[in-house]
Amino acid sequence: MDTIIQQLFNAAQLGAVYALIALGYSMVYGIIRLINFAHGDIFMLGGFIGLLLTTRFGWMPFFLLLPLAMLLTALVGVTIERVAYRRLRNAQRMSVVITTLGVGIFLENFVRLTVGPETRQIPARLPSAKVVWLQQHLGAFVTWDKLLIILISLALMAILWLVVNRTLIGTAMRAVADNKDAVPLMGVNLNLVIAVTFAIGSALAAAGGIFYGQAYSIDPYMGIDLGWKAFIAAVIGGIGSIEGAVLGSFLLAGVEVITVAYLSSNLKNGIAFGLLILLLLVWPWGIMGKPTLKKV
Amino acid sequence: MKRLTLALLPLLALSACKPTAQEIKIGVSAPTTGSISATGQSAKNAIALVQDEINAGGGVKVGDKQVKVRFILEDDEDKPESAATVFQKLINQDKVLAIVGSYTSKCSNAGAPIAEASGIPVVSPWSTNPNVTKGRKFIFRACFIDPFQGRVVAQFATSKLKAKTGAVLYDVASDYNKGIAEVFRDEFTKMGGKIVGFETYNTKDTDFSGQLTKIKGSNPDVLFLPNYFNEVPLQIQQARKLGLTAVMLGGDGWDNPELVKLGGKVMDGTYFSNHYSPDIDNPIAKGFIAKYKSRFGLVPDAAAALTYDSANLILKAVATAGKADSKAIRDALAATVGFQGVTGNITYGGSGDPVKGAVVIKVEDGKFVFDSAVNP
Repeated sequence: MDTIIQQLFNAAQLGAVYALIALGYSMVYGIIRLINFAHGDIFMLGGFIGLLLTTRFGWMPFFLLLPLAMLLTALVGVTIERVAYRRLRNAQRMSVVITTLGVGIFLENFVRLTVGPETRQIPARLPSAKVVWLQQHLGAFVTWDKLLIILISLALMAILWLVVNRTLIGTAMRAVADNKDAVPLMGVNLNLVIAVTFAIGSALAAAGGIFYGQAYSIDPYMGIDLGWKAFIAAVIGGIGSIEGAVLGSFLLAGVEVITVAYLSSNLKNGIAFGLLILLLLVWPWGIMGKPTLKKV
Repeated sequence: MKRLTLALLPLLALSACKPTAQEIKIGVSAPTTGSISATGQSAKNAIALVQDEINAGGGVKVGDKQVKVRFILEDDEDKPESAATVFQKLINQDKVLAIVGSYTSKCSNAGAPIAEASGIPVVSPWSTNPNVTKGRKFIFRACFIDPFQGRVVAQFATSKLKAKTGAVLYDVASDYNKGIAEVFRDEFTKMGGKIVGFETYNTKDTDFSGQLTKIKGSNPDVLFLPNYFNEVPLQIQQARKLGLTAVMLGGDGWDNPELVKLGGKVMDGTYFSNHYSPDIDNPIAKGFIAKYKSRFGLVPDAAAALTYDSANLILKAVATAGKADSKAIRDALAATVGFQGVTGNITYGGSGDPVKGAVVIKVEDGKFVFDSAVNP
């Protein structure tokens, strides 16, 4: 019985990382209708930037390291948008999608060549003692780092929600999502809004990468599998919707962990994705997605 | 087009009428990149050592003259599809006489059928899955096989650690992990133990918390992790963070310096079965370890030792056969009796699997320490 709650914490940690990645997919899609397949690799890069910072600057406390790595990864994200995607903004959809795949492959191989192909772990910067209170009251063995990863992720998502719904740039982002062509006519700098979106998405992915590297491990190719999972989570939640991306991520992680816990670890992906297909049959636009009608 | 054919003609003629080989070519298929590139590196080092040793003495004796040996190493990235390509390239393009490789069982299982069909003898240093050599005439290995290894660990757990309950977490997508996990389960049960958890994951998974939490619920005495060194430390770390206190056990897939580099303190007090231990008292092993250490600055792992043995097995077979012919080399290999290698004596009794012992190694303060030896 005590393992149920422990499993829920496992799912919450995994879901938090999925959500940090899924948000980037969803926001970029929401604004410029682009599925940025390099996003999983941005997540990987964030993890490696975190690794570099922790090993080079061992003295740096976590609350400095995390924002710094997020900032650096955000710069990379913005640069990629500026160099590779911006000039294709009005090109055929397929050209941009292929470009994002190319950028992803570049990032994977860049990290493989510069850092090496080995699996690594980010040295622990969060306390790994168990949370005594949780064990005494709920009988669940949960370490502080797991709890902190979940809480910091939720805090980042809350900040994002505030930025999007309560600030001027957030209003501009929502306006662009609503109608990309009309907004520049109102005097909004479209390039800036898109750059900010990429920056926020990349920064969140970097946080996910760092958490992942602490809780699990990182390697140059991890962005492929996790990128897909997060992308699927975003679609389930309704791509383009921030709340949907978060919901979809926790749902996916929950189904995965529960399948492992109560059915069979053999069937993890089979059952998880089978359920998700069923879900999409019921809600083709995702849980929180808005049905869009194609104009002919 | 016509010009091209004409230009190619002398080349064709040259290759057709080359009666004597100036060098013996032996292929090597090893994962020098990819997730277990550290194993590929060990292979590369050991091969370099063998090549220099044999050529320093003028080469291998074929009939009445000395012929230089050249090893051609190709990267199979630890992917079965790449291993198949590498075997094909080595056989058809490089025209090698024999092959050392591949390393993981899934790669050997992909390459072996190609070599078998082409009649090229193969010695796999590190593939312990029984199917690699089963029903094949040209495929040999320098290591023991999983049923033996699974039995060694099960015996160690029940008799030495007095374990009553055990659990297993293994990669279901890899032949090696799956084979050894199943043997351990059966042997452990036969020896009076009880398997209370048998959980799986897929290659490249990094989150094992669901499976480990489930295993924790049944509180086993030992947890067997027959997986590779790049994953095991993460599994143990996650297990400890979830409150699992079982003694951790593993197989030869653990044997690489990366294990401790990645896992650190969390690896202390764990055990795994292996092909050899650097502490072993064997003059051939001592000579090899000293040479390897002075040249590469590392203690050789089992993959390096087995690569060294595999390459020397082939060279000895070439000398015994007395001619640069794959079929003759295969026959000489099959007739090997009492070959003295770094990892023990190798005799092939009618199959490609040698009869040889195993050791159990304990990880202590980040070092691999010899614990006990087990003979079949």
